[in-house]
Amino acid sequence: MFLYGFMQRAFQASILISLIAPMLGLFLILRRQSLMADTLSHVSLAGVSLGLLLGYDPTWVNILVVVIVAGILEYLRKVYRTYSEISIAILMSGGMATALVLMGLNDSGATVSIQQFLFGSIVTISVQQVWMLLILTVVIIVLYSIFRKPMYTLTFDEETAYTAGLPIQFMSVMFNILTGVTIALIMPIVGALLVSAILILPAAISIRLSKSFNGVIFIGIGVALIGMIMGLMGSYYLGTPPGATITLIYIAIFSLIAVFK
Amino acid sequence: MKAGNRMQYIKVDDLAFHYEDEPVLENICFEVNAGDFAILTGENGAAKSTLLRNILGLLKPTKGSVTLSKKNTEGDKLVVGYIPQQVASFNAGFPSTVLELVSSGRYPRGKWFKKLDKEDKEHVKKSLESVGMWAMRHKKIGELSGGQKQRISIARVFAMDPDLFILDEPTTGMDVDSREEFYKLLQHASEYHDKGILMVTHDHEEIRHYANKHIELIRKEGSPWRCFSMDSCKERSKHPSSFH
Ligand SMILES: Nc1ncnc2c1ncn2[C@@H]1O[C@H](COP(=O)(O)OP(=O)(O)OP(=O)(O)O)[C@@H](O)[C@H]1O
Ligand SMILES: [Mg+2]
Repeated sequence: MFLYGFMQRAFQASILISLIAPMLGLFLILRRQSLMADTLSHVSLAGVSLGLLLGYDPTWVNILVVVIVAGILEYLRKVYRTYSEISIAILMSGGMATALVLMGLNDSGATVSIQQFLFGSIVTISVQQVWMLLILTVVIIVLYSIFRKPMYTLTFDEETAYTAGLPIQFMSVMFNILTGVTIALIMPIVGALLVSAILILPAAISIRLSKSFNGVIFIGIGVALIGMIMGLMGSYYLGTPPGATITLIYIAIFSLIAVFK
Repeated sequence: MKAGNRMQYIKVDDLAFHYEDEPVLENICFEVNAGDFAILTGENGAAKSTLLRNILGLLKPTKGSVTLSKKNTEGDKLVVGYIPQQVASFNAGFPSTVLELVSSGRYPRGKWFKKLDKEDKEHVKKSLESVGMWAMRHKKIGELSGGQKQRISIARVFAMDPDLFILDEPTTGMDVDSREEFYKLLQHASEYHDKGILMVTHDHEEIRHYANKHIELIRKEGSPWRCFSMDSCKERSKHPSSFH
């Protein structure tokens, strides 16, 4: 199966996603923002539909839309501190509804590709997508190694982070934007419905396996590699959607650990 | 009592604070200087935590002002160590060892982007030892008891070695002996290292021998609201409420 160009690209993409997911996922979980990732993936569906409708490159339109919404979410998180689920729910359904309406307006052959964006597709990964993912992975690894300590402090407790002199507002916004860009890039591969699962599950699993912060990231990368590659092969042999196959493997690992630990 | 020429770390001037339009603090005036060990008392709901959060800039005063010194006694940037109330409930699932968390106290000491050196590690070790938690350093923080969590929060602040300690009921859940030990350490820090300390506490009998300043929030007379305040700003500056 490695003879097919698309399978090679799919494997390259999987390895890159395995490196990114635990880092972002851990912070998303600890900042209680797992739902935000879900919201952004629904919004990114609207971004893609908008791109298709306007006839621009959906990837770029999508990144733009998701980044803007990620900024708005941070604002809402601050204003409705205790009721943040409400703004999340509105944006999530709003994103999905917008996507569906935009699709309805677009009566060219775009419905086919919407299907692909909902459930993900490994056949269609382009060389350009792999390159963008590679750049993103490098950026995230560099940012993580530079800002590990400030992020640790911020994630542990925002108020003590503020009193320790960190620009917590700016850091939160930058983190959300980075999450948005990642979701926009990964979404076409694994599907909008399961992007957040792919980002969050490796860290959710490795949190149970490691005592230390760094340990969670390293074990998470291992877990992600296993899940992504097994899921990809399963998807290839069984003809099942990649995102769903990978998610089921993660859930299987999660259950095994829950039983044996 | 300490001389009046100590460097001023906190100055609260005629502060008032309202949640929405419900006044909770009014006429608050006091100062905390380098070398002061000040305790802040008042019944539950007296807005002690609210006052601390105003001082730290986490809340903005409705009226009056809070001035935090920019510099410490040596002329460097003032480092503030804050322990919020009820750290025991903190992020129980946070994946971190005790050692990692306490070491993170060193980061604001110019170590955000640098490796911790020998001196940092020495500080971390000493602070963990001072609260009797060195042996537990490889434990996951979520697995500690309430009192132990409180102790490592204290160790984290000691590791930071701040110029100004702002502590919100830091000894909740700690046993008598560790409390006494902690007060002694704070007294030493203020007396010999010129640290400023502002600590919210309910056990002011116990602490009488250690602190040198007492700020009490009392219910405002004739007020229909739950307003608590210092007696009056003018009166206060004439009779500093120190009890030594
Ligand atoms: N976020 C908030 N919004 C509205 N009112 C609040 C808020 N936080 C506190 N209050 C009110 O302000 C008053 C002061 O609360 P605060 O937590 O500062 O008291 P405290 O002196 O620290 O009490 P305790 O001894 O129990 O810690 C209380 O009456 C409380 O109901
Ligand atoms: Mg309080």
